[in-house]
Amino acid sequence: MTILYLDHAATTRVSDPVRAAMAAALDADFGNPSSRHPLGAAAGEALEAARRTVARAVGADAAGVVFTSGGTEANNLALFGLTPKAASGRGADVLVGPTEHPSVRVPAEDLAGIGLDVRTLALDASGGLDLVAAADAIDTSTALVAQMLVNNEFGTHYDVARLARAVRARGGEATHLHVDAVQALGKLPLDMGSLFDGLCGSLALSGHKVHGPKGVGALVLSRAALAKGRLPRPMIRGGGQQSDLRPGTENVPGILGFARAVELAAEGVAGARAATLAARIAFEEALAASPLAALGARVLVPWSDDGRQAPHVLSLLVPGAPSEVWLHHLEERSVYASAGSACQAKKKDLSPALLALGLHADEARRVLRFSFSAETTPAECRAAIDALAAVAQSLAHL
Amino acid sequence: MNDLPRPELILVRYGELALKGKNRSAFERKLVENMSAATAAIAPVRYERSRGRITAALKRPEEQADAPATLQRIARRLQEVPGLSSVSVCIGVPKDPAVISAVVNAELAERLEFERGPVTFRVSSRRADKAFELTSVELDRYVAERIPPELWDKLEAKLKGAELEIGIEVRPERAFVYLGRHAGIGGLPVGSLGRAVCLLSGGIDSPVAAYYAMKRGCRTDLLSFLSPPYIGASTRAKLIDLARSIARFQPRTRLYLAPFAEIQEAIRDLCPAPYRTILYRRFMQRIGSKVAKRNRGRALVTGESIGQVASQTLENIACIEAASALPVLRPLIGFDKTETTDVARRIGTLELSNRPEPDCCTVFMPDSPMIFGKLEDCLAAEEALDIQGLLMRSLKGIEVIEFEAGQERA
Repeated sequence: MTILYLDHAATTRVSDPVRAAMAAALDADFGNPSSRHPLGAAAGEALEAARRTVARAVGADAAGVVFTSGGTEANNLALFGLTPKAASGRGADVLVGPTEHPSVRVPAEDLAGIGLDVRTLALDASGGLDLVAAADAIDTSTALVAQMLVNNEFGTHYDVARLARAVRARGGEATHLHVDAVQALGKLPLDMGSLFDGLCGSLALSGHKVHGPKGVGALVLSRAALAKGRLPRPMIRGGGQQSDLRPGTENVPGILGFARAVELAAEGVAGARAATLAARIAFEEALAASPLAALGARVLVPWSDDGRQAPHVLSLLVPGAPSEVWLHHLEERSVYASAGSACQAKKKDLSPALLALGLHADEARRVLRFSFSAETTPAECRAAIDALAAVAQSLAHL
Repeated sequence: MNDLPRPELILVRYGELALKGKNRSAFERKLVENMSAATAAIAPVRYERSRGRITAALKRPEEQADAPATLQRIARRLQEVPGLSSVSVCIGVPKDPAVISAVVNAELAERLEFERGPVTFRVSSRRADKAFELTSVELDRYVAERIPPELWDKLEAKLKGAELEIGIEVRPERAFVYLGRHAGIGGLPVGSLGRAVCLLSGGIDSPVAAYYAMKRGCRTDLLSFLSPPYIGASTRAKLIDLARSIARFQPRTRLYLAPFAEIQEAIRDLCPAPYRTILYRRFMQRIGSKVAKRNRGRALVTGESIGQVASQTLENIACIEAASALPVLRPLIGFDKTETTDVARRIGTLELSNRPEPDCCTVFMPDSPMIFGKLEDCLAAEEALDIQGLLMRSLKGIEVIEFEAGQERA
């Protein structure tokens, strides 16, 4: 039985062009970019070309691209590197979004632990950011505001452009806006110039969500952050690579693959959106027509074409058994999905993002996440609903 | 969605150009040419010149996945084109005062949403369509009077030096509304004032000097010196990255990479050690002059500033300049290092310059370089050298790399 892989928000298969981009660097072009000989210089040139490629894809300057080991490190570098070491005592030092990935949420908890005034933004009744409250919390003492662009569990596309206006009006030059764009890359057009226009800001990107390799990503700093010299304090120290912001011999094969993947993702945004939207609509239509709907299964944030959602990821509240049980029953039918966020699937604690959405603890334990790529077909989504219906039937007999 | 007012046009202003009476038309043409080259890689753009303004619009907005974002991107790219003083991204609206006022109010509501106020503002209308029902003064008043009270609370009218300009352009076919201006880098269109060659080292200063020469309208090519085997491929890569980075300020840029090791060896072997750095630089001026003259270049540009390093004394500058067959422009002459660094950071060359690679000047550095050089001593020292032969061989070995603006950087 062929596998129905509907867990693209967890990770994706490396595409052929990406594999090709990496292969050369693993083989003949194996030089260390810091070496003085031509093999090293060639690796250095390839590395800088990759930096320019990533910058171009997101509308940034090459000098702003800091390659990291992935989205988690990019988020950590922003959270720990762009915040003060002591509280200002004048109000919120750090604001984080209500449904952030753990790689933002946990560093924020650590910052609160060392005494910074860390506050969490709220959702409004419609599931969007409560920007009035957010604006009131931001002032010139606020060093950092961190907000994801697209949620990794239920696909909400937050109005970060409007948040940027609030930051500009209330924090101005003093405040850095960090945007976790890991789930937005390849799904929405990303243009840092428009988003941050004159603001100090940064994006976190990851390779393996867009058919690139695992273990590589980037923190991309806005032009204003560069021009004002607002660079993150490095978290690790070493031989000065990447302008000392992230020392250590660069992961050249990974970075070349990452850059190719980012380039393809940016070029393919329109196609990916159309394909994942078709998949999403097929999924929701099949769900509505299946016996699952009558049993109480529902998509937590159903698709609507108001620009407040990305189509490629959805959360499904299922009836009866906890998500773990559903996952293993689906597995037997070769349907691969995840529970909540894959990063938490093995943890006992409940997703704060789901709770922020207003779910009770009992409901938050019964959430499955399905996520699509440009390769996902409507037929696969209908097959997944059939499998879910069959699981529901067998669980009913328990 | 398509009926909503959206950004349709970029209004481009150019300050100093307008002063240059006779040449104005040629300057404008050059500016449009340079703007086209800068934005070619983003999307096809139609430029129009009329009445002291240039407008830019997408040729086929329907082909863009996100036309407003593309227009914003073009506007930001244009801010980097020398000769342009500011740009505004304009929303297209029907020529109806009521609709214009409604769009202004909607834009203001968005712009002021989080402002605690008061923000000083003024309305400035321009009427290219004299048949329009209101004069520009009447339109200013019409629009200001219809700003709703909740927005007025955050506003304060101010004619001079207002923080927020509400701009309205009424054209024969359509009206345009914008809020505020984004500053350009000013200066003059590259190519309107001839050509120059800038000596580019791997340091912080010379890319900034080249930028200023471009800003003042000189097409500026770049000349660097490589000394293999004393200096390796990574220095070459760094110079190419630096050249690419400043090449975005002009349509076309040549980077000349001249071999320099033979010259340095000859100076090491045949001349007094304290004079080495001065003599290297005299050769750089000679090569620079030759390269410039081949392409009708009329000046050399360097990143020198008085007293910044021990060798940059007036005495040494005089010794070095005497070898040039062209005027030597030093845009950074009055800059402190911190000022140069600030500009380098702003134009995006600082990170590249800070990459630790040796440059050819560090080859065979004497222990105690001459600080107050004398020209007659330079000339005497050079008598031991086959100047023409050394020059000819370096010139013959020059490698040229060409850059097209806009392609390297979005």
